[in-house]
Amino acid sequence: MAIRKKALMSAMSLTVVSAMALTGCGNNNDNSASGNSASPASSSNSSDTKAADSSKKDVTLTYTIWDQLQQPAMEAIAKEFTAENPNIKVKVEVIPWGDYWTKMSAAAPAGTLPDVFWMHSGQFVKYASGNFLEPITDKVESGEIDMNNYAAGTGSIYVLDGQNYAVPKDFDTIGLAYNKELFDQAGIPYPDDTWDYAKLAEVAKQLSQPDKGIYGFAAKMDTQGGYWNDMLANGGYIVSEDGTKSGYDDPASIEALKARYQMILDGASPTHQQMTDTDSTEMFKSGKLAMIFEGDWRTADIDGSDIIHGKWNWAPLPKGTAKRGNIINGLGNTMSASGKHKDEAWQFLKFLGSKRAAEITAEMGAAIPAYKDTQSAWVKSKPELNLQVFIDQTVDATAYPAGSKAYPVWFPKESEIMAQAWGGNISIEEGAKQVAAMMNQAIADNK
Amino acid sequence: MNSRSRYVWAYVMIAPTLLGTVLFWSWPAVYSIYLSFLKSENFGLINHWVGFANYEKLFHDREFWQNLRNTLYYTVLFVPLTLVFSTFFAVLLNSKIRGLSAYRVIFFLPQVTMPAAAAMVWVVLFARDYGFINYLLGTHVAWISDSRFAMFALVIVGVWGAIGLNMLLILAGLQGIPRSLYEAAELDGAVGFRKFRYITLPLLTPTLFFTTVVLMIGATQIFDSIYLLIGKTNVALPSVRSLVYAYYQNSFVYYDQNYGAAIVDILLVINLILTGIQFAFQKKWVNYD
Repeated sequence: MAIRKKALMSAMSLTVVSAMALTGCGNNNDNSASGNSASPASSSNSSDTKAADSSKKDVTLTYTIWDQLQQPAMEAIAKEFTAENPNIKVKVEVIPWGDYWTKMSAAAPAGTLPDVFWMHSGQFVKYASGNFLEPITDKVESGEIDMNNYAAGTGSIYVLDGQNYAVPKDFDTIGLAYNKELFDQAGIPYPDDTWDYAKLAEVAKQLSQPDKGIYGFAAKMDTQGGYWNDMLANGGYIVSEDGTKSGYDDPASIEALKARYQMILDGASPTHQQMTDTDSTEMFKSGKLAMIFEGDWRTADIDGSDIIHGKWNWAPLPKGTAKRGNIINGLGNTMSASGKHKDEAWQFLKFLGSKRAAEITAEMGAAIPAYKDTQSAWVKSKPELNLQVFIDQTVDATAYPAGSKAYPVWFPKESEIMAQAWGGNISIEEGAKQVAAMMNQAIADNK
Repeated sequence: MNSRSRYVWAYVMIAPTLLGTVLFWSWPAVYSIYLSFLKSENFGLINHWVGFANYEKLFHDREFWQNLRNTLYYTVLFVPLTLVFSTFFAVLLNSKIRGLSAYRVIFFLPQVTMPAAAAMVWVVLFARDYGFINYLLGTHVAWISDSRFAMFALVIVGVWGAIGLNMLLILAGLQGIPRSLYEAAELDGAVGFRKFRYITLPLLTPTLFFTTVVLMIGATQIFDSIYLLIGKTNVALPSVRSLVYAYYQNSFVYYDQNYGAAIVDILLVINLILTGIQFAFQKKWVNYD
């Protein structure tokens, strides 16, 4: 009896365990499996392109992007490309930013990167130096594509050791979004290019009504759309120009970080906890915030909110004690070095870098196209909003602090340390110094 | 049929399961041990043998010890609570009440709900300013972003999700107990809780043993609720971060698969020890008669 029951128990356990493994519905038990499943999911995209191998046959390329808001524009570009090249179809696939690089890092060594995909300046060096990206230097040299066609220095971002790897797609800067209704109610004039950071802090205090859940400004813990701009404006820096040293422990940087955090202490901004519960841009979209720093790429998203639609606008970032700080970044389109249809992929890449593709991007309001003289179409895509501020600010802007192997290492760790400071567990100064030490270590380890 | 061909057939029959297990479970486990002795570059295409360097770093990493403490703390809270609640509901659902199958479906639902979807609902329930839980309790607590409460929020979600399956297992165990034993006990004058204490519980111990072992292994691998509920910019993350979460961060976010592998290998050893202890002690309380 005892033995039979034991046998029964082990049979039962086997069944349950294998059932859990097969269905994948175990809540906690199969995490390692779900973590690993990232790679097959992203690698699946090239499998359907394998079928066709000759260039004359029908070919389907996979074009992977991370912004769902830009999907319609990217599909419109793909459609027009297919109209010109009937044998090449393009499948636009969206992997959200939060998972994008995790999946790409699994796909790269497996040789299953998408045929064409968006590249970010922060990740570029890692992929280019590992020979996962197809260089396009010969096409640039032969004049098939002209890097001088692209504005705001975007043509030089994706160059490593003299090799070109990407066709510039767009660029982005940061603006100050404000809720006109809240300003009108308080009888305060809207922000303009005369504002400095002191004025921002003062007005933010005036507009805050914490008892109603309304705040003047979102002093969020954010880099590109947050305190990096403050640090630059105050005369600080993020990474030294030669890329060897973190600027987080620079006194001017720390002062800027403290000033931002002070707005939370003053009750002029929601707390970090509140902004963890609800994303600050969502707060702005629901009319709970008077002002927020945000990138131009969120324009369509913010304007899509029924609550705020027609009641908001953009202004330039305030002036700092040293200068006007702004981070400019440019995305690129790259192609996989291990793609099955590189000739077709290049045709598509070339089209993505064309004036026509830039016009579609601009007219649909997806992003500020990198192609020269197509930006005004983007500014006109939403005439009721002052989109011109994003173009004007490129003059004072500082390039996104990427372009190193160290960046992908320190960047995710930065937010973990700063979360402790923003959440009040350690002082801002302590947090900034920890980040600086961590960054310097990462730079030393990833020469 | 001679005995040799019977063996062949036996292996053919178990081959699909065996292959799957070896390919997707055993091989990665062995490979992760190998990885933990390397230092990889360029997405794992260039590797250097570094011996125990990753483990040495681990033992000097204060964050690792904090993660280990968090993992064990979660396990200590999660396993007993799940057992108690699952047994409680299983006993209730083993009685003759109206709408029995409806209740069984309700309790089993969390099991078939997508964890990500469930987590989204919990995030809203736990929210500080407009969350239903604060509304119900009349409190104003940041459940998932306050270091003092985040662990309890995770345990609540974990137990809620685990009751369904474990209740079902225990229910199966309960239905295996012969009715004649209860009838005999009733003749001897045993009622209510005494019947549960002296008949149900002892005869349920094999099932409870099995569920404890599985629950404990599951609990030490907690990841998705931390990832979905807490998130990486949460100030409470260090007080709930588990070993598997740290493994995920190191392997897939910081691109240091080797250090990540060392973390999960330690977890593997911990699980082997925990399970070994349970098997050693089962003679003391598990009743197979």
